[in-house]
Amino acid sequence: MAETVRGSAAGPEAVVARTGPPDVRGTASPWALSIFGAGISALVLVIGGVALVQVVYALEGGRITSGCRAVGLVPFTPQTPTSPAAGIKGAEGVCNIVEAARATPTTLLLWLGVVVGVAALAAGFGTYRRMETRRRRELCITGAVLGIQAVVIGAFLLWFREGRVDRFASQFLNFERLQGYWVGFIGAAKNTLLLAFGGEIGGIVAGLVLAMLAISSRRAVRAPARAYINFFRGTPLLWQLSFFYFGIVLGLNLPLGVFAAAIIVFILNTGAYAAEVFRAGIQSIERGQMEAARSLGMTYLQAMRFAIVPQAVRRVIPPLMNEFVILIKDTALVLVLGLARDQLEIFNYAQEGYSSTFNATFFVVAAIAYLAVTLPLIRLVNIAERRLRGGLLGLNIGQQGL
Amino acid sequence: MNNDSSLVRLENVHKWFGSLHVLKGIDLSLAPQEVLVIIGPSGSGKSTLLRCVNLLELPTQGRVWFDGRNITDVRTDVDEVRTHIGIVFQAYNLFPHKTALQNITVALERVLRLGHNEARDRALQQLTRVGMAQKAEGYPGQLSGGQQQRVAIARALAMQPKVMLFDEVTSALDPELVGEVLEVMLRLAGEGMTMMVVTHEMGFAREVGTRMLFMDDGVIVEEGEPRELFYHPQTDRLRQFLAKVL
Repeated sequence: MAETVRGSAAGPEAVVARTGPPDVRGTASPWALSIFGAGISALVLVIGGVALVQVVYALEGGRITSGCRAVGLVPFTPQTPTSPAAGIKGAEGVCNIVEAARATPTTLLLWLGVVVGVAALAAGFGTYRRMETRRRRELCITGAVLGIQAVVIGAFLLWFREGRVDRFASQFLNFERLQGYWVGFIGAAKNTLLLAFGGEIGGIVAGLVLAMLAISSRRAVRAPARAYINFFRGTPLLWQLSFFYFGIVLGLNLPLGVFAAAIIVFILNTGAYAAEVFRAGIQSIERGQMEAARSLGMTYLQAMRFAIVPQAVRRVIPPLMNEFVILIKDTALVLVLGLARDQLEIFNYAQEGYSSTFNATFFVVAAIAYLAVTLPLIRLVNIAERRLRGGLLGLNIGQQGL
Repeated sequence: MNNDSSLVRLENVHKWFGSLHVLKGIDLSLAPQEVLVIIGPSGSGKSTLLRCVNLLELPTQGRVWFDGRNITDVRTDVDEVRTHIGIVFQAYNLFPHKTALQNITVALERVLRLGHNEARDRALQQLTRVGMAQKAEGYPGQLSGGQQQRVAIARALAMQPKVMLFDEVTSALDPELVGEVLEVMLRLAGEGMTMMVVTHEMGFAREVGTRMLFMDDGVIVEEGEPRELFYHPQTDRLRQFLAKVL
């Protein structure tokens, strides 16, 4: 493979230039490839195999087995005039999960995955030093590492299913109990985002103003900003929410809803954190930039607006987005305020579901809902960071090269 | 008030940085069309002196006059005064988020309140003057040090200043890029621009300067016609300095 790149040096030079530096990792070998393959297979057996058996059982949807009945997974029967309600709602689904986890195919797949993983790990680490090319060495090491992962996960699953899988599954994986709640979760996610976006956007504006005050050379200007920032960074958000709503809004009888009050507190709180981020960003800009702007006759505020802040904002995008991810999770704290039903955010909504069903599957779904919102954002933060680090000065280099 | 013909005049200017006494009573005047070159060992206060002229450093004591106005008076609109005094820095200090053209137009539009097209025309005219018109859309990060410094000169010139201050503008450049910047400055001097130049380029000082100051330890040690100072130094301090740099 590497040879083809170097071989093309005889061809037009433009081709070589466009393919980048030559690949000098050398060739693979059957031995190295098989260790790599073993590592991957072990991981696929352990994770994919178990998931596959679960899917098959779920699709076949067998009746409740005697084993399930023995541990109390009895189908639900509603209350009748003669007998009280009995059994568990969603017992069938839970039973499928339990049976699939204990099924022979699962046992075989898990053990096979562990054995293959151990083999990959032993062979990979045992021989990587003797490999003749970089590519072979990397294949061996990667295979061994994947093998370790397969062994750890496989061993954990083998241990886990020896426990009371039935109790775990009926508490945390009884997705049928969420019937009628799914749409509500979407509304809750929307409310979470509304609280977080409201808090973040307002907070960024407040933070920029606070940062400008906090870096003033005049103590009279600086002191109140610092006091504000320190107060909001120094007290728990939970306390701020409670005090502002119960103390100020209800206490002074202000015409303000819970939701609006919560957003205001998030703005006040995020403003303090964003101010510190902006302050650091502004102070990281070289002094010469301010001097150049001022020497052209700009006022202090003009210099800030046209020269300093635009550069500072580029530098603080990653930490600001990080703050945003944190805020998304912190919106769960509005729990203490007692929101109306259509105002519930994700965590609050899950809590509601739990209280009415006594089933913790709601919290599992809440975690999934949070991840659905935060994972794309985290990815965006990483992309933004890489861009900024890659660029010469954190600027729009890249479109132009050089 | 100030009734001589000088464009810039410093009267007994002192500057302290904390307990460090950097300028110890500088008296100086600069007539229109003069090219005043300031040389001296590092730490002698040359840059501080230059930066006192447009009040990037505020003198601790003493007065600075510009064009007949006492600009150290607190009632002076310093921002307005600075539009008449161009300065070019050692580190270029171009705005990295703006193109060469935008680096120039931002002050024309926001400070001088020129219209968009007028600002653009004037900026391009200045870029042409320093031979950088073809890089007008380039960002500072895409330009060489010499090119950045020429853009910085164009940025200062576009304000149509009455005096240009140059603060060791070639010191950060690779040796092969020094020439292109000096050439622009030479042309400016030839066109009759009033200039104050802090420099380590002794050849430039000798050939282009109409007057030269030698500073050491916060005071002006010698002052006169450049060739005279180079060939007939009066003090040991200047002799020792020249022996080291020539």
